[in-house]
Amino acid sequence: WKKDEFRNCNQTPFCKRARTRAPHSLDAPLSLAAGSLAVSPDGSISAELSHPSRPRPLVLRLSALPPHALRLQIDEDYSTATPPNRRFHVPDVLLPDIEARTLHLPEPKTAGGVSTVALSSDLDVVVKHDPFELTVRRARSGDPVLSFNSHGLFDFEPLRESKPEDETWEEHFRSHTDKRPRGPQSITFDVSFYGADFVYGLPEHGSTSLALRPTRGPGVEESEPYRLFNLDVFEYLHESPFGLYGSIPFMIGHGARASSGFFWLNAAEMQIDVLAQGWDGAATPENGRIDTLWMAEAGVIDAFFFVGSEPKDVVKQYVSVTGTPSMPQQFATAYHQCRWNYRDEADVDGVDAGFDEHDIPYDVLWLDIEHTDGKRYFTWDHSAFPNPEEMQRKIADKGRKMVTIVDPHIKRDSSFHLHQEATEKGYYVKDANGNDYDGWCWPGSSSYPDMLNPEIREWWADKFSYESYKGSTPTLYIWNDMNEPSVFNGPEVTMPRDALHYGDVEHRELHNAYGYYFHMATADGLLKRGEGKDRPFVLSRAFFAGTQRYGAVWTGDNSADWDHLKSSIPMVLTLGLTGLPFSGADVGGFFGNPEPDLLVRWYQVGAFYPFFRGHAHHDTKRREPWLFGERRTAIIREAIHVRYSLLPYFYTLFREASVTGIPVMRPLWLEFPDDKETYNNGEAFMVGPSLLAQGIYEEGQKSVSVYLPGKESWYDLRNGSPYKGSVSHKLQVLEDSIPSFQRGGTIVPRKDRFRRSSTQMVNDPYTLVIALNSSNAAEGELFVDDGKSYDYQQGAFIHRHFVFADNKLTSLNIAPDNLGKKKFTSDCVVERIIILGLRSGAKKAIIEPGNREVEIESGPISLRSGSSLVVPTIRRPNVRIVDDWTIRIA
Amino acid sequence: SKPPLDTLGIPPQDEAYYRGGVIKCRDGSGKFSRDQLNDDFCDCPDGTDEPGTSACPEGKFYCKNAGHTPITIFSSRVNDGICDCCDGSDEYNSNVTCKNTCWEAGKAARDKLKKKITTYKSGVVIRKQEVERAKEAFAKDEVELAKLKGEEKLLQGLVDKLKEQKKLIEKAEEEERLRKEKEEKRIKEEAEKKATVEKEAQDASREVDSKETAPPVQEDESKVGEQHDGHATDHDNHVPESRISVEQHASESQDDSGTVVESPPKESTPTLEKETSSDNPEGLSREELGRLVASRWTGESVNEVSKDDKKGHEDVHEIPEPAEEAPEDELEIPEPAEESYAGYHSEVEDDRHKYDDEEFDHESEDEYADDHDEHVGSYKSDDDQKGGHHSDLAASGHSSWMDKIQQTVQNVLQKFNFFKTPVDLSEASRVRKEYDDASSKLSKIQSKISTLTEKLKHDFGKDKEFYSFYDQCFESKEGKYTYKVCAYKKATQAEGHSSTNLGRWDKFEESYRVMQFSNGDRCWNGPDRSLKVRLRCGLSNELNDVDEPSRCEYVAVLSTPALCIEEKLKELQNKLDAMSSKQPGHDEL
Repeated sequence: WKKDEFRNCNQTPFCKRARTRAPHSLDAPLSLAAGSLAVSPDGSISAELSHPSRPRPLVLRLSALPPHALRLQIDEDYSTATPPNRRFHVPDVLLPDIEARTLHLPEPKTAGGVSTVALSSDLDVVVKHDPFELTVRRARSGDPVLSFNSHGLFDFEPLRESKPEDETWEEHFRSHTDKRPRGPQSITFDVSFYGADFVYGLPEHGSTSLALRPTRGPGVEESEPYRLFNLDVFEYLHESPFGLYGSIPFMIGHGARASSGFFWLNAAEMQIDVLAQGWDGAATPENGRIDTLWMAEAGVIDAFFFVGSEPKDVVKQYVSVTGTPSMPQQFATAYHQCRWNYRDEADVDGVDAGFDEHDIPYDVLWLDIEHTDGKRYFTWDHSAFPNPEEMQRKIADKGRKMVTIVDPHIKRDSSFHLHQEATEKGYYVKDANGNDYDGWCWPGSSSYPDMLNPEIREWWADKFSYESYKGSTPTLYIWNDMNEPSVFNGPEVTMPRDALHYGDVEHRELHNAYGYYFHMATADGLLKRGEGKDRPFVLSRAFFAGTQRYGAVWTGDNSADWDHLKSSIPMVLTLGLTGLPFSGADVGGFFGNPEPDLLVRWYQVGAFYPFFRGHAHHDTKRREPWLFGERRTAIIREAIHVRYSLLPYFYTLFREASVTGIPVMRPLWLEFPDDKETYNNGEAFMVGPSLLAQGIYEEGQKSVSVYLPGKESWYDLRNGSPYKGSVSHKLQVLEDSIPSFQRGGTIVPRKDRFRRSSTQMVNDPYTLVIALNSSNAAEGELFVDDGKSYDYQQGAFIHRHFVFADNKLTSLNIAPDNLGKKKFTSDCVVERIIILGLRSGAKKAIIEPGNREVEIESGPISLRSGSSLVVPTIRRPNVRIVDDWTIRIA
Repeated sequence: SKPPLDTLGIPPQDEAYYRGGVIKCRDGSGKFSRDQLNDDFCDCPDGTDEPGTSACPEGKFYCKNAGHTPITIFSSRVNDGICDCCDGSDEYNSNVTCKNTCWEAGKAARDKLKKKITTYKSGVVIRKQEVERAKEAFAKDEVELAKLKGEEKLLQGLVDKLKEQKKLIEKAEEEERLRKEKEEKRIKEEAEKKATVEKEAQDASREVDSKETAPPVQEDESKVGEQHDGHATDHDNHVPESRISVEQHASESQDDSGTVVESPPKESTPTLEKETSSDNPEGLSREELGRLVASRWTGESVNEVSKDDKKGHEDVHEIPEPAEEAPEDELEIPEPAEESYAGYHSEVEDDRHKYDDEEFDHESEDEYADDHDEHVGSYKSDDDQKGGHHSDLAASGHSSWMDKIQQTVQNVLQKFNFFKTPVDLSEASRVRKEYDDASSKLSKIQSKISTLTEKLKHDFGKDKEFYSFYDQCFESKEGKYTYKVCAYKKATQAEGHSSTNLGRWDKFEESYRVMQFSNGDRCWNGPDRSLKVRLRCGLSNELNDVDEPSRCEYVAVLSTPALCIEEKLKELQNKLDAMSSKQPGHDEL
């Protein structure tokens, strides 16, 4: 990590200015003009904010969205004295129907310089006029939930007509000059989370802590705010508040009494302080409140207050404005094999064959930048890949897919058609002087398509058609890397902030969303290519709020060390909390050679990442799963098998995420919001509501403490042994697995037959694993569709609810039957039902309808050589998953 | 159609195991009844009860493949929609229909096997001849070594005698000198008194001299370094490399103080000019900066980043690998004060590393150079013998020159009159000359002995079948690179004039099926280069398929008669017999 190459807050003038300001010390605090407060025809509330020293007032808009989201917008008033430029509103992130969903707010009640607006029967907003301050509170109790500017740090630098003579607006960093022709325009404010013990969110940072650590105040040694600025950081640190590849300005506060969230839609550089109690010098620090300071270099205020009250509600409220995650194809949820680089067709053949020889399933083989002709994306290095279509067909014959990389930097080579076309059409981002911006990346001198422009995105999307992308086939999917954008010779390895985009938008204003638009255009391209029938798979490194609608992300260029393995969990959990469920870290670590034991541990944890991919730098030794001796091959195979057997469960979780936004991999407190023990546990995690796992993050660790939350028992996934809840268990560390448990009261669908890839598992029978709770009950779900198309949107899916109660398992249909005309069916049956915690010595079960009798006997919990036959197992019930049925333990 | 369950997927030798009414799981976990055999439900976790279905993940399925070779496949392949067995028996209950391709596939396999057998047959003959030759040559080498050792002994005796004579002569000469000195002593003593004052002055100056002894030594060392730089082409590139990195440092330390200045001095250059001019504070042009940053990920030298750039192509591969380390080492040291030290240090290490290589190269060239017949050549030049193998030399030539030299020495010794004073100058010089000649011949013989001893120490295989490899190098051209593998020595990758060491001879592995070369040139961010040469039977020695599956870990294939082993041939023939005997009936076709 080259610390000097990146700006810290002190080297970032707007941050330094805002951060050194004491509470309530502003020269020109903004106040609300009482007479300006009014309900607009669209149902929102508008008002003016001003101070006598300012050239123009600001316009405020307050609106409410169901369920329980309050939106605050503040911008310049362009209707009176027009400023020279308009501030940038980030387009295409909020759902298009958001205005239509706005509630009609009642008339505010004003008394004594305070106006109150009832949002709903249980919530209201209190607006203090001078200085302007806003609090969302519970109407009945009057308890505050979230507040804005309660520490008087709200500042909004007004746009100025022209630069005063004695001032300079230029900024210099290392050899780079930012001309800043539009001058200072930063925005700062404080937000307080009431009832919160911890705050979470704000990806992306390397961290082994799930909760955001305080960045300023008593007890904080190295004071640096969390930085949101998309950067390609070489060998990033596993523990640092500096910005990485993506940015989501969304924070969740959680405590025993409350959960809430705050989201600021702004794509400029942002710095956020989490303030330690007593930071403001208050004599008696208020308990159960966390103050935060938000600073951005440019943009407007378009912010959302999410009121909860459960943590899952906060996540749902966030996706209700930024969109629900897209539903991935089945194959994308399986195992991916990548390396920089699989060099040629023979290499691809060999790796593919290696998996088959060792009976290890995988679904996708990836090609990194070297597959292209001189880093010209959409082309092939024909000496290494003379027959790309044939190669893909051979892989596809085994039900597998391939992925190629397409980055945003386009080689400035006059003979490259893409460059020619982009140049002619004027599709590149411009430098401060209006010429095509020329930066350095993999191909050398490169330019970057201006993805902010919808027309250019459309053009880009068309490049993925089979006619245009020669050598691509329907089983080829795409990887977007370097889209921060990474510019090797740019300031902080990215694009200069004074570069210009479509609509005269400066790069500084949209920087954090560039990669998002690029990802969007690529995903749209795949959608178009498949005539809207094939769900796109596009992995992106850069991301922003809303990325969940377009595909998956990974945590970039991590390193092959134990700390990076450990930090991958909080990083992936944080992405899930901020609406992006489909993510993972490179298994094995990108840089460096993992010790074989580390690689094994990484596979065991990685098998639970929502996105599960092995990847490696080209300087590293080969690390395909079978290269580390028979014993390790077997353990890695087992880890990958665990993932494949859980694919039906994962797919069901992805379905849930695509409807509600609730992540696939979850912090424990999302499932156990009242259990304080879980609030800062970043080592263990839930997969869905039913499974808990904890990685082994130390070399040679002999024992590990695992906290199992809740009142119900947990069952060891490997041997079915029960463990008490609400207890920290000291467990012996096993070589062949990491601690993993099923929660009492849940039913998990599995497929225990292994194939070359998930494609061949389609018709395989299911195993249901029932873990009973203390009332001898359990429930679970199964979602199945064709795994690839959008037919599910028209009703073509199976959605079952399994309920076990009173010694009876029932399968209920929970698919609404009015969704559409399309149907999906399956001949799949349930071949085995395992019942953990069943106390009766029952030998038989009766299946209805049909009054069919089947045996219950002792069976293995997993089908591995040497497993003992210990768990009550219903043998061959062979009931179809499409049907309604009950199975009664006789 | 579904085949009978009681044999489905079961190899013939296991059929007996499944005959009983109650059958045990092989892993001892339980037992199952006969109707649970292949009932598509896994009762034994190890798969014993489901040899014919996909129910047990750890099961194996046997396909007969009549007309070809029977195989055992993972049960994960059973009814998965992909034809794995050439007889199609693995897809008895799936949505695909597999054609029986065993006869055609078997025929192709048999043809391939036949071809292989043909190669082996000829190869075995060649190998036998080679082994014979190698044994002969090895024996000859041993004889030669014995002979050389005898000669060494004789010659050593002569040299010792001559040395004694030489000492005696020198003693006599010394005595004579002393006598002369004595005669002159008196004259000297007279002069001494006058010289006292001067002597004091001399002492003073000697003191000064001794103070100055240290610096010249250092100077000498640095000169050696310089000279080395001078003749090694590698180093010419090294110089600009490190210059760039040093400049980079200077700028980084400058930037440390205050990187962002909101109000720069008014006379600062306008941005546009700054961006295009190369004398920005970092001392790098925009392009250089881009390459530098890119190089962190690629681990390549700054120039190598744009391999595809035709401009940059020329100078790409001449940059030696170790030189790349220098800038990286430096960049990782954050403290400016330590930087220069670290940079210096790493450069010194670098040079030494190189110097070692260089030495190795020289040494190797002296010993065996690049040529197959170098060994012979060296004998030629040593002994003025024309033509023939060196063993011939030993047989016919040696005795005569040995006799001659013995004769000459005898003559000299006899003629010499030890008691004659003063010493006869011409005779003394003859003794000296003979001594010099004889000891130089001795050291040549000793060097031959050590070369030969060194050679014979090597492992040439069970039948000495690799004996001929000792004096051979095998070459293969792959694209722009020429790979050269010299068994027992080293392997290189050459492009134009630059050559990279892929490894020094390490050993044979996998019972003489692999030659391992290790500890080659260092790789930036990677392991030291190494090469595994896989050996296979072929009619001549041919190097092929050089590849680098992992960074700096190379593999290659060498066809050689040395691997055409008779037992293996028998194995192949048996396999062919087995394949040919199982022709399927016509109904199966």
